Amino acid sequence: MTTETQEPQRRNLARPPFYRDVRVIRVVSQLLAVLVVFAIAFWLVNNLISNMNRLGISTSFDFLFGPTNTAIPYHGTFDPRSPVWQMALVGIKNTFLAGFFGVILASVMGLLVGISRLSDNWLVARLATFYVELFRNIPPLVIIIFFGFAVFTFGPFPIFSESWELKVPGSVNNFLIINNDRWGIPGFTATGALVGFWAILIFGVIVAAYVWLRRTKHFERTGQPHHRVLWFTGVVLASLVLAYFLTGQPVDMSWPVISENRRRVDGGFIANWGWMSVTFALGLYTASHLGEIIRGSILAVHQGQSEAGNALALSAFQRYRFVILPQAMRIALPPTINQYLNLVKNTSLGTAVGYAEITALTKTSVGNGRPAFQSFIIVMAVYLTFSLSISLVLNIVNRRLELESR
Amino acid sequence: MTTTAPAPPRETSLDWVKKNLFRNWWSGLISVILLPLSLYLAYRALRFLFVTGQWDAVRVNLTLFMQGTFSRDEQWRLISQIMIFALAFGIGLGTNSAASHDRAQDAGLDVERGTIAGTLARMWSLVAFIGLLLFFATTDDMGNLINPFLFVGGGLVMGAVGYQARRLPRRFRNVGWLLTMTFLVIGFQIVSGFDAGGWVPLGIIFGVSAYSIAPVDRFEASWLRGALRFAAALIVVLAIRAVYAAVDTPGIGWDDWSGLHLTLMVSAIAIVLAFPLGLLLALARRSTLPALRIMATAYIEVIRGVPLITLLFMGQFILGFVVPQDVTLSAITRAIAVMTFFSAAYIAEIVRGGLQALPKGQTEAGQALGLAPPPIMRRIVLPQALTAVIPAMVGQFISLFKDSSLLSIIAVLEFLGVRKIIHAQEAFRGVGIAETLVFVAIGYWAFAFAMSRESQRLERRLRVSR
Amino acid sequence: MKRTKLFAALTALMLILAACTAAEDGGAATTEAAAGGGDGGGAAAGGTLDAVRAADVVVCGVNDGLPGFGVVGADGTYSGFDVDFCRVVAAGVLGDADKVEYKPLTADVRFTSLQSGDIDVLIRNTTWTATRDGQEGASFLFTVFYDGQGMMVPASTGFTTLEDLADANICVLSGTTTELNLTAVFGARGIPFNPVVFEDNAQLRPAYEEGQCEGWTSDSSQLASFKAAIEGEGGDEQFIMAEIISKEPLGPVVSDGDTEWAQAVEWSVMATVQAWEFGLDSGNIGSYSGDNPNILNFLGTDNFDPGLGLSSDFAIQVVTQVGNYKEIFDRHIPAIGLSLEGSPNNIWTDGGLMYVPPYR
Repeated sequence: MTTETQEPQRRNLARPPFYRDVRVIRVVSQLLAVLVVFAIAFWLVNNLISNMNRLGISTSFDFLFGPTNTAIPYHGTFDPRSPVWQMALVGIKNTFLAGFFGVILASVMGLLVGISRLSDNWLVARLATFYVELFRNIPPLVIIIFFGFAVFTFGPFPIFSESWELKVPGSVNNFLIINNDRWGIPGFTATGALVGFWAILIFGVIVAAYVWLRRTKHFERTGQPHHRVLWFTGVVLASLVLAYFLTGQPVDMSWPVISENRRRVDGGFIANWGWMSVTFALGLYTASHLGEIIRGSILAVHQGQSEAGNALALSAFQRYRFVILPQAMRIALPPTINQYLNLVKNTSLGTAVGYAEITALTKTSVGNGRPAFQSFIIVMAVYLTFSLSISLVLNIVNRRLELESR
Repeated sequence: MTTTAPAPPRETSLDWVKKNLFRNWWSGLISVILLPLSLYLAYRALRFLFVTGQWDAVRVNLTLFMQGTFSRDEQWRLISQIMIFALAFGIGLGTNSAASHDRAQDAGLDVERGTIAGTLARMWSLVAFIGLLLFFATTDDMGNLINPFLFVGGGLVMGAVGYQARRLPRRFRNVGWLLTMTFLVIGFQIVSGFDAGGWVPLGIIFGVSAYSIAPVDRFEASWLRGALRFAAALIVVLAIRAVYAAVDTPGIGWDDWSGLHLTLMVSAIAIVLAFPLGLLLALARRSTLPALRIMATAYIEVIRGVPLITLLFMGQFILGFVVPQDVTLSAITRAIAVMTFFSAAYIAEIVRGGLQALPKGQTEAGQALGLAPPPIMRRIVLPQALTAVIPAMVGQFISLFKDSSLLSIIAVLEFLGVRKIIHAQEAFRGVGIAETLVFVAIGYWAFAFAMSRESQRLERRLRVSR
Repeated sequence: MKRTKLFAALTALMLILAACTAAEDGGAATTEAAAGGGDGGGAAAGGTLDAVRAADVVVCGVNDGLPGFGVVGADGTYSGFDVDFCRVVAAGVLGDADKVEYKPLTADVRFTSLQSGDIDVLIRNTTWTATRDGQEGASFLFTVFYDGQGMMVPASTGFTTLEDLADANICVLSGTTTELNLTAVFGARGIPFNPVVFEDNAQLRPAYEEGQCEGWTSDSSQLASFKAAIEGEGGDEQFIMAEIISKEPLGPVVSDGDTEWAQAVEWSVMATVQAWEFGLDSGNIGSYSGDNPNILNFLGTDNFDPGLGLSSDFAIQVVTQVGNYKEIFDRHIPAIGLSLEGSPNNIWTDGGLMYVPPYR
């Protein structure tokens, strides 16, 4: 005891006692923190496993290969005897369908609302404000239920067997099929192998990207108008035409047709009411947040920028398009991506309108006796993978934008 | 907004219309299209609200929406709670208003005092919602009528009484804050009960107060002062504990709460519990210790990367199994736990934002004064960072309030969930589906809108004061 | 430095005091009680009967949105057929039918709640199946309601068989045996169909009435109840197909591995049928003056105790406070459009399936 207490005293001049040594404190405190966290985690997991074993609940992932046993709404081609993992894939596909189109709707609507809020027109500005304050203060779940039931179930649309069929003028083909359950629009169908088609198309896009860069360089060098969007679109379209004819016309238009017994839509691209409810509700909800972000970003662009544009005799549209929006977009990007992520996460509420996305399908599957823990771990992993990869991309883009602005 | 700028003098209404609706040809075109359209939609909405809507499902079940299955015999607890909370908010607002008034006066600014009417006008959405409730109540039998008036009337009176705290002399200002917190706790416990174990919140509040205001300045030795402070805190805490042990009256725990009451309380409880956790996570994430930083970052990113509903499902399905066999957690306890852990991750990010926004000079100034890192954090960095993030915290609370609607999916009878049981009643099966949904939407909207307005106001004031 | 000490001191203080409190209360979760979580929770598996007696309340998992079986009135009170059986259990075990705490549950979460001890007994129109008995760690007790899955269509369609519904939208609740049966039956017969799944009947019914689905499949009792409701409110006439898709025996469920508790629940529930068989109801059970030894045993005269862990007068408590099976049935089920006559739920002496082991 005595030697231990005396020794540090003797070395006091050289360095502090070990318990006040910053390096020691750092290591010890980290070790302690890690130990505590791991001890708690171990205790919880241990409880979980012992409780599950006690109750005879399965702790394996074998259920993924067992039969699903339930049909998936609006997926007539899905065989209920297929394994559970295939059901999960359908769920993931549906999650992204709702998320993708929701993001598009939200972006368009959000931009519109954000700019409208700053409009000179009193009515437009007021309506945009009303829209924002209405949608962003109501829970998305309530909006989804509202769309599902007030718009589709009780809405103005006819029942399936009495669908409105809008024909392409002078043709028997349906341009649009509308009812309170499923909407059909024209789509495409493959009539042959598509490998060559995709290969040529992808090559075309790469060429188009190269042309874009060349045009940009050209513009920077000479100052002549670059027309890069036109060029890019032109090259892509050309490659599309080329691919279509070179590989023997492997794609055909597919028109939506109501079946003989008036209970199916065959062909075309078919949207069910659950998907539409989730997409519209989340699109409009997120647009109210995006509108605010865009408005804030536009206001954050220095007033002098707009005045400079004015001095250059740019029109109002040109000022927005070339001076303000490019700068505002840079400010708006991080929060916008956050909102997109929220939108994708919110598609998990599709269960309220019977939309077969991953969470809803998993919930049903768990209700039918699949192990809850493993099932939801998989669902969470799916969302997490998506969120983290988007965050990663966002971080990279952000760093690039930051560098450019210096 | 440029359009709402004060009008220059002698502008006629025609000028106004010209300037704001028909500035140029396309603006005029849009006005011509949108004006009748919006008028028509407004007409349809009002007609639905007042003429065509079948509101019986809401009217008859108004109490069910408000308090759900909470025992009607124990309703006095809810009425008292509203009154005590109103008192607490009144005192808080009054004290705050007096404090900012004094600060402004010290700075030589001339400011008007806030008024009750002004506060109510700012909260117009809530006032309108309460008006709607009273409208529904008055069109029904007296059984429903008495309670809303008790709630609203009692709340208004107590709020007004509490607001008089602004007349308190300056040296009693801390008493105002202490009273606010005390009444918040008591208001909570008037429902949840004054169990022997319920001393903790008041114990902390009064213990901290006793420790800081104990009159020990005349003693020289710092250890003696510390010991005396500790003793004072100990005495106060023990006294509070003794009072609770003597009272020891159980109330109605949160397992038996439902309806709008549950919605509001769950969000409040979760945000209060999540705050300390979120603060710790934020500090850990900014720590220079890699182990802490990695663990905090992992937690925050995982929680923020998944939807709340999957966490709630996990909570319902799993949380009961991760605790030892002899501990049981009710569905609402599990939901609150999940919402707490969920919010903590978001609060951590908000606080981190506040910490990052603080100029580095603040820390350096602290170092120059020879302060150790902990006091720098606590006395210089955190106070400024936390004040700056108050509006974002209110935003997080609004978001949590809206998210609490997800509890209806896991069969917790909160505000939205009440809808489902109403339509299982014999009289309302399939009747008034849209009406109950609209009512619920209005309810959520009224609260969220009022809170978002307050948060915007706070943000403006904070920006000005900086 | 003042504040540093303050926090350290307070933390120490709180820890000491919390430790004291915890020690005094025998380690109970005091802080949680303080936060308001107070009276929650059922008892853990093993010794449930003692735990229920100690808590003096039966925590019963119910449905809060199923007409006839479990609904919540405007005054916030639960009622219905299933709810009455929760009251039966409370009356039998605790002697007071009001000592029930109702926990509304979704279909998905009900077995988890039972397993984790959140509820003591599950009486939520739960179908007894082998998988559930085996995998969910649940014990199914005496079947109190024999149901069967049926299919309802608007009468105007003229459909009479499942084959008529080829390719049709069929409304069904998610996470139930109904959904599994639907897929199995239609799959076995090779009839293509499209399920439209809903969380609860409050949303399913309008979708069906608005013609979004051509068929509605559920337990026959539910279909009958909604048929009556739709027609009663002036809606289209409905037709329930004669074909019964599956057997649906519904009864109380308890957690596996606690025989004592299972027996107490089961005999409390069976007492309602036994009383019916004896001709005893809530009106006359208190004044029985005959000398049938079986009835005297049943009423606990001379402290007859078969060792079920129930008090000797439990049957009297059950029947006087809640009623016999027929009374419970008549209170809730005819209102949703089903009658006892000719159904399997009739007493065995009248050709039904309600047959309980003798109480002696």
